[in-house]
Amino acid sequence: MRVCVLYSGGKDSNLALFKAWKVFEVACLITLFPRSEECYLFHYPNTQLVKLQAEALNLPLITEACLDDEESNLKALYKALKGAREEYGIDGVVTGAIRSTYQASRFQKVCWDLGLWCFNPLWLRDEISLLKELLDHNFEAIFTRVAGYPLKKDLLGKRVDERAVEFFKKIRYYVNPSGEGGEYETFVLDMPLFKKRVKILEYEIRGEDYDATLVIKRAELIDK
Amino acid sequence: MILVISTCKVPFSEEEFVRPITEIVESCGYSFHIKRYHEKIDFDEYSKIIVCGTALRDFDYLNYVDVFKPLLNYAGKVLGICAGYQILALLYENRLEEVEKIGIHKVRVIEENPLMPKNEFYAYFLHIYALSRTNDKLKMLAVQNGEICAFKVLGKDFYGVAFHPEVLNREIVERFVSL
Repeated sequence: MRVCVLYSGGKDSNLALFKAWKVFEVACLITLFPRSEECYLFHYPNTQLVKLQAEALNLPLITEACLDDEESNLKALYKALKGAREEYGIDGVVTGAIRSTYQASRFQKVCWDLGLWCFNPLWLRDEISLLKELLDHNFEAIFTRVAGYPLKKDLLGKRVDERAVEFFKKIRYYVNPSGEGGEYETFVLDMPLFKKRVKILEYEIRGEDYDATLVIKRAELIDK
Repeated sequence: MILVISTCKVPFSEEEFVRPITEIVESCGYSFHIKRYHEKIDFDEYSKIIVCGTALRDFDYLNYVDVFKPLLNYAGKVLGICAGYQILALLYENRLEEVEKIGIHKVRVIEENPLMPKNEFYAYFLHIYALSRTNDKLKMLAVQNGEICAFKVLGKDFYGVAFHPEVLNREIVERFVSL
């Protein structure tokens, strides 16, 4: 089966890609660029950098811009998937949805309407076990956004590592440990499928504790 | 021992539709075996059986309803989820209708039963086929907008739910395994 992966560049879509890679032919990645962090369906920070990640993966990338409202999101998703079906002959779509029925039901509906299979390999997984799985497979992901107490801006730029997993274990009753509700966002610099790794050359941190973003201004691919 | 049956044609879908069920079974302290829908199964080896759902575009299990015929003489308890609900409905000679339902909907319980004690609750649906009427072999337990979203096989401890309880109503699976 040929599939595309809905790809934000963060830890969940990369883990979904990693799993799909073992069983499917991954034909392309699809990234939607929402206008702001207000978007519920797609991730916002540093989405322009997925072009570098796609290059690191040696996979074609289909991008589609959208506004923040649901109608615009779904139209953009429909258009991108239709394009992927026509250009790459995909039969299915892989997403990194974990627990969000809002995301999952919308992805399912668009896939059904386009005659595509929808796969959600992280669905209902325990969030802490997912974080551990990233570490087990040597994913190098950094925090790029925090949005809510008790996530301070000093978390930005730090790696998702053992300490971070322990931290999220402690606060799991306040904060979804996967950040699926937008509590935090990540960006993957390296993972086993990357032929090269992403090196950040210039960044800026905007915002205050509990609501801050690490904006990557310049980055490049370097040998691993 | 509980038998968990996968109805997934594509094994990758089992991460989404089978693993969440086995995790609930395990968290309740029960052990389980997993079999796939086209395997020959000796149902009598198990005290309870859960037939799981599958991907929206997957209908292959409908070609294998005969595999489940021995259930007609099975004395244990069965919970059919989505595809499993459809298999039970067909096994008892009901007619499925095309009802596309994706997302969260409010379910109304119309018949007291051990799995769903509440009068109303929200559930996550992901199906293309369901029942809007039953024959006299099934008893309606819950409805949603004209769809029969839960039933019991009369004279048996067999239950079918059209929605996915593992998403928002894991207590239904917990109650079933504790029956």
